[in-house]
Amino acid sequence: MRAKPGDEVQIWPPWAERARLFIEAVPVRTEEDLRAADYPGVDRVWLLALTRSPRNGVGKAREALRARGATAGERVRFGSLELEPWELHGPRVLAGLTGSREEHEVDYVSRPCVLVRLPGRFSARGPGGILHVRAGIVGERAYQTFRGPVRVEVRADGSVLGELTVPPTEPPAPGWRKLDVPAPAGDRLYEIAASASDTDRPFCVAAWVTDR
Amino acid sequence: MSRRLPFAAAVVVFVALFATAAPVGFVRDEGYYFEAAKSCEAWLVLLLHDPFAAIRATEQYWSYNFEHPGLAKLLFASSHLAFTSTLHFLPDAQSWRLPGFFFAALLAFWLAVLGGQRSRACALLAPALFFCTERTFFHAHLAAFDVPICALTAGVGVAWARAIGILPGSPSRMSGGPWLAFVYGCALAVKHNAWLLPPVLVVHALFLPAAARRRAFSTLPWLLLSPLILFAAWPLLWHDPVKHLGDWIAFHTHHVHYAWYYFGRELRAPPFPVVYPLAVLAVALPLPQVVLGAAAGLRLLWDLLRRNLGALRLLELGLAGGAVLPFLLGTTPIFGGIKHWLAFVALLMPEAAALLEETVRTATGAVPWHTRTRALAAGALAALLPGLWQIAHLHPYGTSAYGELAGDLPGAASLGMQRQYWSNNVTSVLPWLNAHAPRGARVFFHEVNVESYRAYLQSGALRADIRYASGPWDAEYAALQWHREFRDREPETWNAFGTKMPATGLYLDEVPQVVVYARPGLPGAP
Repeated sequence: MRAKPGDEVQIWPPWAERARLFIEAVPVRTEEDLRAADYPGVDRVWLLALTRSPRNGVGKAREALRARGATAGERVRFGSLELEPWELHGPRVLAGLTGSREEHEVDYVSRPCVLVRLPGRFSARGPGGILHVRAGIVGERAYQTFRGPVRVEVRADGSVLGELTVPPTEPPAPGWRKLDVPAPAGDRLYEIAASASDTDRPFCVAAWVTDR
Repeated sequence: MSRRLPFAAAVVVFVALFATAAPVGFVRDEGYYFEAAKSCEAWLVLLLHDPFAAIRATEQYWSYNFEHPGLAKLLFASSHLAFTSTLHFLPDAQSWRLPGFFFAALLAFWLAVLGGQRSRACALLAPALFFCTERTFFHAHLAAFDVPICALTAGVGVAWARAIGILPGSPSRMSGGPWLAFVYGCALAVKHNAWLLPPVLVVHALFLPAAARRRAFSTLPWLLLSPLILFAAWPLLWHDPVKHLGDWIAFHTHHVHYAWYYFGRELRAPPFPVVYPLAVLAVALPLPQVVLGAAAGLRLLWDLLRRNLGALRLLELGLAGGAVLPFLLGTTPIFGGIKHWLAFVALLMPEAAALLEETVRTATGAVPWHTRTRALAAGALAALLPGLWQIAHLHPYGTSAYGELAGDLPGAASLGMQRQYWSNNVTSVLPWLNAHAPRGARVFFHEVNVESYRAYLQSGALRADIRYASGPWDAEYAALQWHREFRDREPETWNAFGTKMPATGLYLDEVPQVVVYARPGLPGAP
């Protein structure tokens, strides 16, 4: 088995980040909720698990992948490590609107997203399809419950497609908020605007368009 | 019981700590206490040369770290003045820490005294059970206040017990009200946990039989002299004492809450879980100490309910309960692992030792005495072995230690427990930085405060030309300490350095503790 474009490694348990010292060929992910995690543009996830570690929960990780429709390939064991490819069967990414050059932490997980100064906006061209917007407050300021929400407005060619409210995070509610809306077919100018009453919080947005 | 066994326990603890302190990193708070000790030492030198000037200048030398009383800092400074500045006999950190070893030895002594009221075996087992865990062993190395106040809590207990006649032993200078006043004064002059001790003693007195109660209430007024020790050992109070006392009290009654990772939740503000301190102890300590400590606490409570608790055991229960009670309220700051309620663990250990001995004796039944003695030795070894292994395996990374109930470090990481704190684990990567960083390299040390960084430079653990960077954007290398609440620092470093691949790190049983990144192209970069 060989890695190919569209592959990523998901380590399990998510704290087992020593793997970063050794994995060069593909990006390493440390998602904590494998059922809900976004893997845009990822066809196959290699689940790299520390199976002899106490309370490793690898069984639940597999269940979560199965629950999202992923299918497992052949599992290979190397000592206490197990490597198992999972085809995600996810939608095809037509365009990434925010790219993945930088990453920021939201909900304690590193996310490829762009920082948006509050209030602020950005725009990008892309095709129609399903627009996925993810947004969250970076770092510990996300948990300052005395602050107001951040409002995100999403437009395509000037028409409002949807709105997303990102309140201060109060677990177990997620801090990385999701909006998935259909966008009419054809080339579109997408605009994403974020605003809040208090503006001294780093705010991060990711957006991409898929075929379904 | 003679004092030979307590002395032996104290000496063993002192020697063990002295011999194993070198690799222990400088925890964040030690950074502040080292600075305070330097200032105190300068004041002591002034006092020796110009006493009046020193008395006039107390504000200048003692205002730093105003939130903690003076005795421990005075001892750190005196030790450094004697053994390092004057005799050039010890490295800086070792001489600052020496009084910490001394307090730990005192704790061993007093636990042995309390344990010795049950049997000779308990005299040795009580301190052994306490110190044979990496968490407690680690804390005993530090120039900090947690083990000293734990020791003095036990010391106040012993002094009180002697003063009111519930602890057998030959009358001595160290058995009356003045000694109690002195020991309590020392506790007061070490840390504010001592504020809780008089209420415990009053409640204890109320539960005593009539004759002992009378003695107890006639002893209590001696405590009114104790603030003299606080005043004498804390020159900051010599000018404007009301203001400084007010500042001291206000600091602790309005203490900030630091984020703390606990069973997958980041605790940031009250209300905290009521069982928090007990749950943290259960997962952090080795299993034998957890089982024996829990059984000891339950038996003391059970005997209290059955009115079958002797005065000394009642005192141990009261002191243990008093040490942990504030942290069961749900509003007291809970950061710092188990260090704030170490006295709870310590004061349960004499009873835990008795339980262990009874269990072994019951199990061995009517076999000859020498077989029983061997069985007791084997039982003690079995009880201490997991803790000894924890020390051998994890020292000096004491704040990272977890026990069998958690599934050790990996289990605790999966459970979502605080990975480490205080930044001392950074010592593991200093040799790598020394070997790889170019001359004058800027390193982002993350949780390591500038005071501890200076201490690493001073001790030679860190190369003198390596500079302190304020963030990854400003650095060529970054040594990130894994904390849940600081997860944003790692992607921030990736963005700044343009790489996600660490150069090296400290991974304990695969669990990341410290992760080092280097800018691409620099020595050591992957």
